[in-house]
This record gives sequence, structure tokens and C-alpha cells, in this order.
Amino acid sequence: MRLLVIEDNALLSELLAKGLRTAGYEVDLLATAAEARAVLMTTTYAAVILDLGLPDGDGLSILRELRHRKDPTPVLVLTARGGLQDRVTGLRSGADDYMVKPFALEELVARLEAQLRRPGQQLGNSLHIANLEFDLRNRQAVIDEQPQVLSSRETAVLELLMRSKGRVVSKKQVEDHIFGLGGDVASNAVEVYVHRLRKQLSDKGARVQIHTIRGVGYLIAEEKRDPV
Amino acid sequence: MIRFKSILSRIVILHVIAVAITSVLMSLALSWLLNVATNNIHNAAMEEQAISLAKHLSANGDGSLSLELPPSLQGLYSQPYGRYAYAVVDAKGTTLFSSRKDNKAVFADDPRAHTVQFLETRNGEAAISGASIRRTVGSKTVWVQAAEDLANSDVLTDDIVDDFYKHVGWITLPILLLLLVIDIAIFRRALFPLRQASETAQHISPARTDIRLPVADIPSEVRPLVSAINKALDRLDEGFRLQREFTADAAHELRTPLSILRTRVDTLDDPRIAQALHMDIEAMSRVVGQLLEIAELEGFELDPAEVADLQGASAEIAGFVAPLALDQGREIALLGATSPVLVKGNAEMIKRAIRNLAENAIRHTPRDTAVEFVVEENGTVRVRDRGPGISEGERSLIFQRFWRRDRNAQGNSGLGLSIVQRIAELHGATIEVENRAMGGAQFSLHFIRATS
Repeated sequence: MRLLVIEDNALLSELLAKGLRTAGYEVDLLATAAEARAVLMTTTYAAVILDLGLPDGDGLSILRELRHRKDPTPVLVLTARGGLQDRVTGLRSGADDYMVKPFALEELVARLEAQLRRPGQQLGNSLHIANLEFDLRNRQAVIDEQPQVLSSRETAVLELLMRSKGRVVSKKQVEDHIFGLGGDVASNAVEVYVHRLRKQLSDKGARVQIHTIRGVGYLIAEEKRDPV
Repeated sequence: MIRFKSILSRIVILHVIAVAITSVLMSLALSWLLNVATNNIHNAAMEEQAISLAKHLSANGDGSLSLELPPSLQGLYSQPYGRYAYAVVDAKGTTLFSSRKDNKAVFADDPRAHTVQFLETRNGEAAISGASIRRTVGSKTVWVQAAEDLANSDVLTDDIVDDFYKHVGWITLPILLLLLVIDIAIFRRALFPLRQASETAQHISPARTDIRLPVADIPSEVRPLVSAINKALDRLDEGFRLQREFTADAAHELRTPLSILRTRVDTLDDPRIAQALHMDIEAMSRVVGQLLEIAELEGFELDPAEVADLQGASAEIAGFVAPLALDQGREIALLGATSPVLVKGNAEMIKRAIRNLAENAIRHTPRDTAVEFVVEENGTVRVRDRGPGISEGERSLIFQRFWRRDRNAQGNSGLGLSIVQRIAELHGATIEVENRAMGGAQFSLHFIRATS
């Protein structure tokens, strides 16, 4: 998968490329808005990582032009401007995600993956946490390479949690995801499914933990064993 | 020299002194003028009398003179109390005729020099004042004297002058005092725009440097001062702006090098070193982020119409900090209201305040304890931990910028709570700091409920 990185700081650009290549992507580097415009007219990338502060123009204008042409390429905006207004303007201009410098390479890769896995960006195939894998094509949980049998609702909950790796999923989101808009849902239904899923994963030896954040939602993370 | 605290007191005091002096001078001048006027009238009357007396003088054949007064005139000069008197004196000083009983001249010391002379003399109680005119009758030159006793109780002119002091003279004082009151009113009216300008100036603060004093209604005498103040404010505003921009720019400029550092660390081979460095970079990034937040807050103006959902904001922040907290072995819980709680304010700013409180709580709460968010229907959000709590003595210190209990502690810039306080100030919210009964601190933000 080929990514385009538009970043004027040569050092950061090189380091980004190195990190992204390690994560398995091919990377093209550009440093100016003019080059970026020219290249984006002719080449299609899986995703674009765009720095907003370019020497010859505002990165946002490139983004606007891209969206004006109805180009759906996911664009992840990088910026040193973390202000309230900047963030809003960035997202309104059609950015798919927004990261304020300094960012963790790991998080950049994770967010990039999330973008690439969106509907219409069928490029990813599985999600991983520790020894747990979720095959998105077959919608199946795999632990230590062993496919597991889970109920459809448990699978739905697991998929949602793993797609939102590193982020809290609200109870409402889980409810909507497994029951859709139809029908009445018992108030403790989500708790029941999460509890079952937790037990299944634990019984089958997955080194993951589903945390309950009271009043907020759920979060899946690698199991941490307290250093004793 | 007396120093006056206010222009008004200067005007009042100097005006009172001026009124006192003026009223004395005015009465003196008026009574003098009155005296002169009555004198003139009296003198003219006396001259008239002398002239009419002279008409009745006639020369006899032997060269002597005779005076034949008609009865009306005789009556005038024969009043028992002797208000009027006349005499005719020749060049040698001999009294030819006199209305007096002793047949002497009215004015014994008549210089007999000019055509008309006005003379005064005293005769016991009487203050005699009159005129002496020269007349030539036949071959003889005589002086006809006519006089009036001004001390006589029938004479009114003097009484008028005396009366003026007693009654009329006092009128000037209240008139002048009334003028003083009018002056004060005029002056206060003239100063009104200045008072308004002062009230406007009250609102100028580092957060509101855009206010300027109104120049339109200011009197032209004071306008240069007001304009100069406005220009000084322009320069200050510019200074503040540069300062804010510097903070923001400096923080910006630090972000790209921090990104490079971080990405470089991410690509290191030894994960243990990488992790340690990560924590340092994390702490540094947080300070930079907070500096930017402070810079942004300094210039932030809250729209009074804005409404935010406190419950939603708390839920979002609880979710936002949860991964980090869980990673560090701390729990997060959101309690209280489960439906939107609308308060006045900017959602993004409120989230920042709650996030800073939460990060603070996560830092202080021990492993395996929870940081709790409690949202109440009345517009309050509480963030509580199970940490060491905050002693009475520290409560005023914790909101100061860069204050830290332990200056060596990692990952704490001492900026978080000052940001919380600033956001609370902007929202008219109050902050309450308490220690919990079972240990730990509780920070409560009381926002103003929005009526919807």
C-alpha cells in the first residue's frame, strides 16, 4: 500500500517514512504544496499524511482542492497548531483525522489503519491485540492462530471493540451496533454480552482484557499483569 | 498653597471665598453709589431753593436789599423743628436776612467765592447741608444760602441708605450662592462623560485589552488626555498580543522538534530505552500543549449565549483519559447524571478544564484505585481521587502557575490547575477543593446552569 507524506521538515519526513515502511507501507515523500498538488492530480494513494504548515502554502488548501474533486482518499492531517479553531477548521475542510504534533508513531499507524479499514477502503484484513486476532473478512476471532466459535452478538461486540482499539466504546455505541435501531433492548443486555465475551476470551486463553469504565463504556486492551 | 483633592472642591471653596468678597464689595459699591445719588438729589434741591429765594430779593432805593417771601416759602422755613433754613450774606460777611432765630448765617464759614457752592456744617444735633449761590442784586453782590438738616426725622434719603445694608444688601449673598449651586451642576454635567470613561476603563484587564475609552462625548479640554490614554492602551494591547503570540509561537515551534524526537525514539531498536524516553517526551509535550492552551485562553472570549452539555463533556473526557489511566493501573468511573446537564459555556473549554482535573487526579491516585467523575443536575462536576489530598496551606498555592508540591516529580508542569482556574473564571464558575472523608482530594467545578 502506497502512502504520500507531505511534510516540509526533512528530518521528520525521513523518520516518518522509516516508521511507516517498518509498518509495511510504501511511502512517497513531498515537501511543498506545489509538488503535492501536481502529484495528487495524477497519482492515487491509499492515504495521504498532510502537514498543514508548508513553506509555499497552507496544507488545508490542498485538502480542499482534493475534496472539491470528490477524491475520497483518506487524509490524515498533522499539525503543530493544536488550537480549538484549527482543529475545527481542519476537520471541516475534509480531513479524516487530525493529529497534533508531537504524536506517537504507533498512534499514527493505528489511526491510519483505522482509516484504511473504513467501508470503501477495504484494505485491511485483520486486527490484532496480543495473541488475539480478529479476521475482518470472515468476522472471526482467532486466538493463538486457532479460530474460535463465538455467538454472533459476542462477535459483533468484539469486532466493535477491536476496531476501536485504544479508545473507549460507549455502551450506547455497543447497543446500536448489536441491536441496530429496531426493538427494545433490556437495560442490562450489553453488560450480559460483554460479560459473556469476557468469560469466553479468558477461558480460551486470550491475553486481552475488556475494561468496564463505569458510566462511560468499554475498552479492550492487552492484559497487564501487575509486576509482583 | 492649599492643595485640592478634586476640581469640584476647588471650585466650591474658591467660589465661596469669591462670593464672600464679592458680596461685601458689591454692597459697599452699591451703598456708595446710593449715597452719591441721594447727595446729588439733595444738592440739586438746595440749589433750587437758593435760586427761588434769590428771586425774591430786591434792591431798595437807598441801596439796601429787601426779601419778600411769599407765604408758602415762609411756611417752609418757619417750621418749628427747623428742617430747612436760609440766609443771605453780603460780601463783608454780614448776615442780611436769616430764617434762624439768632439771625446768623446758615454757613458761617461760607467762602463766598464761586457761583454755586455746596457746604456742610454741624449745629448741635443738626447735620446741616446745603448750597450757597452768588447773586448780584442792584449794585450789591450777595450769597443766598439754603440748607436742610439731614438729621431731621422727616428726611428719608439717609434712611434708605441705612436700610439698604440691613435688607437689600443681603440679597446679593443668596444670589451668589445660587450661582455656586448652578456652577456645580454645570460642572458635574460637564464631567459626566469622564465618569463614564472611567467606568469603561474599569473593565480593561489582560484578558480584555481591546477596550478603548469613548472620545466622542469627552470635553475638548480633556480629549487630548483621553486620546493619549487610548494610544497608550494600543501600545499595551500590542505588547500583550506579542506576548501571547510569542507563547503560542514558541510552543508551536517546539512541536515539530518534539515530533522528530519522538519518531526517532519510536524507531529505536531497544524498546526499554524507547519507553523511558517516551515518558520524558510525553511530559515535555504536555507542558508545550498546556502553554499553548494558556496562550489560547488569554485571548479567548466566551460567547455568553453558548451552552454546553456538562454530562457529555465529562463522559467524553472520562473516555479520553481511560486508556491512559487503565494502562497505568488506575480505574475511571463516571457517576451522577446520565442525561445532558446544560450549562453556560464553551464545551471545548469545559472539556479542557475537566481533562486537566482528571490528569491531575490520575497522577495522584494510587494504583488500583479509581478516579471518579460526578456530574450533578445543578451544573456541578466533581473529579475525585484517592491520593494524599490537599492540605489547607496548599489550597491557595495549587492554582498558581508552575507550582508543584514536589518539584522533581515527573510529568507535572504545574500548569494544569491554573488552566482550570482560568477556564472557571471565564465561565463565572467556582472551584471548590476538599479532602474526602476516606482519603483523597475532590475538585468541584460549579458552572452556571443554562435555562433551556
